Amino acid sequence: MQVMTDLFARIFGDGLSPVGLLVAGGLTMALIMALVMALCAIVFTWAERKVAGFIQSRYGPMRVGRWHGVLQPVADMVKILGKEDIVPQDADKPLFLLAPFVIFIGSLMAWAAIPFAPGFIAADLDLGLFYIFAVSSAATIGILMAGWASNNKWSLYGAARGAAQAVSYEIPLTLACIPVVMITGSLNMNDIVIAQQGGIWHWHFLHDPFLFVAFLLYFVASIAEVNRGPFDMPETESELVAGYHTEYTGMRFAFFFLAEYANLFLVSCVATAVFLGGWQPLFGPVFLPGLVFVIKAVLLVLLQMWLRWTLPRLRVDQLMHVCWKVMVPLALICVLGAGIWMLATGQTG
Amino acid sequence: MTQYLRDIYEAVTSALKGMRITGKHVVRKPVTLQFPDERWVLPARFKGFIINDVNLCDGCLRCAKVCPVDCIYIETMGKGKDRFMHRYAVDYNKCIWCGLCTEECPTFACQHSLDYDHALYDRRRLVYEFVDPARPVPCHKERRQQMGYFVEQVAAAPPDPDRIAKAPRRADLPETAPGGAEGGGA
Repeated sequence: MQVMTDLFARIFGDGLSPVGLLVAGGLTMALIMALVMALCAIVFTWAERKVAGFIQSRYGPMRVGRWHGVLQPVADMVKILGKEDIVPQDADKPLFLLAPFVIFIGSLMAWAAIPFAPGFIAADLDLGLFYIFAVSSAATIGILMAGWASNNKWSLYGAARGAAQAVSYEIPLTLACIPVVMITGSLNMNDIVIAQQGGIWHWHFLHDPFLFVAFLLYFVASIAEVNRGPFDMPETESELVAGYHTEYTGMRFAFFFLAEYANLFLVSCVATAVFLGGWQPLFGPVFLPGLVFVIKAVLLVLLQMWLRWTLPRLRVDQLMHVCWKVMVPLALICVLGAGIWMLATGQTG
Repeated sequence: MTQYLRDIYEAVTSALKGMRITGKHVVRKPVTLQFPDERWVLPARFKGFIINDVNLCDGCLRCAKVCPVDCIYIETMGKGKDRFMHRYAVDYNKCIWCGLCTEECPTFACQHSLDYDHALYDRRRLVYEFVDPARPVPCHKERRQQMGYFVEQVAAAPPDPDRIAKAPRRADLPETAPGGAEGGGA
């Protein structure tokens, strides 16, 4: 945001008051983030279909656009915009209409604290990491709203599962990040990234064995958090049709998709910033920080897609077993272990 | 406790094992054929759409009689030497690809082609005409000889695969559109 306010200050000189600068900068950043989200949805729907295709010895989309169906997402968008916006007769109309946007807003707000490059962060909050976890859990409310308001048993089942899953997996997700906070001594996303400068061996996931396990825990929990395979219980298309968005059509359905892929990228961005050195390159001085950051995050997204198309879906009880009996204890051990490691090696936060 | 740890170990390693397998598939060449551009090589006896070679057909009506779904329409006029067939049509809406007509045909005029994709906007266009009504096909042996049509009965000779391969494709067949070309055209 500093970048944007400086830019506006240079363009308008003294023509804008500090408040005006803040508003203009904030709106521009929000617009950029919304565009990043839309781009995520466009690129990742295509990427997902290609990854799925090649994993199954197929090609995926090939016909729209000249090369490997690159314009397929555009065609999908045009199609989805032309669809009728249906509200079921017995649906709870206000909630039904509101739910997609609640999910979308929850995702959009979390983007504010992602540090893409030095200074390029919408809101450089001191509680950045905490803010991201707090805001991204608002999506749970959207899921519950969508499931409840649809007045459909599949939607309701999907929503109940989704809420249970999201609430459960937020705990290992957050716990896995605590060792990093202990080492950095800050919840500020910029500080966390800057603490990792100086090559790959300074990145947090290689800091000590406990942090490596914490990174794996974060990765698994983040897949569950964004409701993707093998943890896609809320959407299980083989049993619940499409889960909480069964009844949605057209643009509203597109918003669910937008939020899903934006969330996918969001958790990868957080993992990049917290564990994989953010914009820091593998070695050497910082160059093209934004690009380095995005490449790392996209590679994580591809890894998640790879996992999704490899593993079968878990049962609900297995899902809860993995969370409460495996991941939460392991995350607590990681917190303890990282603390002991810090004491033993004489580091202080 | 050991079982618990073993389960965790197995979950991680089996996930990695699965990812190795799917990773191999990524680098493998896909098996998909890009259908309209690439096609499977079909066997010579592929049971495609029924076609009739009117140069061989002498209008004996055996195919129409044996057809269990009555999808072959033959119309003739005249008697004896002046008997002409002015319509031979197959209604692919009804055809069940049983192949009885090809088995019954004494001259091997009625055959399965290698054609199988006939996506059309209007089902009325699935009735294919094989005889130009302006050029009726003679049915009597002598008249066929005079006009240079095939006469001899082929005695149980197997169908020539090349001839089937050369069967008229959709673009070659005259299109029938009883209700005009509304339906959007194909």
